[in-house]
Amino acid sequence: MARTLAMFTDVSLCIGCRACQVACKQWNELPVEEPEWTGTYQNHSNFTDKTYRLVRFIEKKDEKNQLQWHLMSDVCKHCAQAGCLEACPTGAIYRTQYGTVNINQDICNGCRYCVSACPFGVVAFNHDTGHANKCTFCNDRIHNGLGPACAKACPTESIQFGFRDELAAKAQKRVVTLREMGYKNAQLYGEDQKGPLGGLNAFFLLLDRPSVYGLPEKPKLPQNNVFVDSLLSIGSAIVVGIGAVVAFRERGGKGDI
Amino acid sequence: MEPGLLKSADWPLLIDLYFFLGGIAGGAFVIATIAQMLDSQRYRDVVRVGYYLALLAIIPAPIFLIVDLGVSSRFLHMMMVAKPDAAIGVGAINIGPFHLKPLSPMNAGAWALLGFSGFAFLAALLVFLEDVRKAARLGGLRVVVGIIGGFFAFFMAAYPGVLLGATARPLFVSAHWLGAMFVAVGMATGGAAIALIMSSMGAQARDALSRLMKVTAFALIIQLVTLILFLVAVSSAGSAGSSRALSVLVSGQYSVAFWLGIVVVGLLVPLALQFGGAIRKANPGMVALISVLVLLGGFLAKWVIIGAGQMVLS
Repeated sequence: MARTLAMFTDVSLCIGCRACQVACKQWNELPVEEPEWTGTYQNHSNFTDKTYRLVRFIEKKDEKNQLQWHLMSDVCKHCAQAGCLEACPTGAIYRTQYGTVNINQDICNGCRYCVSACPFGVVAFNHDTGHANKCTFCNDRIHNGLGPACAKACPTESIQFGFRDELAAKAQKRVVTLREMGYKNAQLYGEDQKGPLGGLNAFFLLLDRPSVYGLPEKPKLPQNNVFVDSLLSIGSAIVVGIGAVVAFRERGGKGDI
Repeated sequence: MEPGLLKSADWPLLIDLYFFLGGIAGGAFVIATIAQMLDSQRYRDVVRVGYYLALLAIIPAPIFLIVDLGVSSRFLHMMMVAKPDAAIGVGAINIGPFHLKPLSPMNAGAWALLGFSGFAFLAALLVFLEDVRKAARLGGLRVVVGIIGGFFAFFMAAYPGVLLGATARPLFVSAHWLGAMFVAVGMATGGAAIALIMSSMGAQARDALSRLMKVTAFALIIQLVTLILFLVAVSSAGSAGSSRALSVLVSGQYSVAFWLGIVVVGLLVPLALQFGGAIRKANPGMVALISVLVLLGGFLAKWVIIGAGQMVLS
């Protein structure tokens, strides 16, 4: 496997210009969608089958009741342990040699299991094509040394693309700097490869708790449940099976009733 | 996490119906196998009805699944693709064009459906051959088919629950009991469906009806216990998403169908009637009524839980 590639999004540098969102749309030839009123500048409220990059505009009051704006360019996390990939019954969702997670559109049959298995609500179903869609890290571009369109377009380098180990080192320094500057809640999300989901290949530097940005505090791999759920099912099968054996073995016959 | 950010697969009624029929088929097959192994002559009608029913219930299953796919013509991709060498998941096994993904209950379920359909067909064929020949020479083969098929049958009843538990949906992911509950639902509805058919056979079926009511009553008790364990597990999960999802089920949009449909009509009333004398007397009319209630409750158990779990919360 080649060296893992990653995307590091530093929300402290995001100015909410949405160049990333537009660049993603343009490169991936994603059609326009009806805008929706979300209460902020954010459009849309969540990822769709035609929006793989999404700038979140989050309004939150601080301790002094002052309104704060949190801006964050969100994207598929390309999890090291990916719920969508494990769920996919067809093998359409696969891991590339760079560690990213892609959906092979020629194999996907539109069962939508990946949609409900993503802990981040990223994967979306396209009713026109009958396939599931999500960010590919611009698979065609990275195989040609171009880097994803969103990272290329970002004017503030809030989105950085490169080798995971190098980006992680950079992110760790940056979080220390921000804390020294007074951002006491600054934290990395998904950078730790020993953390939830084995680390995220699109990781973030956040200025507040993950839940403020709509991210789960401790995302879990849904497939971790399969073993325990199966054991309990086997237990239940044994119990109801014994019940049936007892019912058909009990004494009593045609003459008794 | 804000639960509204999670997405739903939006599986429609077809999938609920598939899970329901898969449960009936699995339950009926297991009951027929157990009856056959204990006394194939005495319970001949239970065996015949059970195996025929298992086959009939499973016939529409692949059709429902294929119709629901975004690209129906690619249904075979569930088990085989032309690109078997890609990294497609932990523990995935590629043999030629085929693939098995043990951590994907949908993939494992597709294989189980194929296997179960084969055994359900074989079991029904053997029953049919005996009916035609009026002889029991195929008894040994039937036992083998019944036992191996029985494992697939339990799998068919259980895997939808495990499949739901392996999603990120707050209602499904917080508890581990859906597979166990669906096994009990399958056994109860399988027994009820056989009993409903046999209730038209008159007085000669009373012994079998009484026993089928016992099987069903026992499965309903397990269903009730696992349902309570499920609710306790979800309510103690402690996340905002799980408590909102639970409120949709027990006090929101689905609450009437949940309490009245699943709990009262599907569980408490049949259990009260069964222990109130229906098991002992095995009156065909009463058995038919109980069976209809159990089947209704069994369908609602799937429809309500899947519907409530798939609702996008805000």
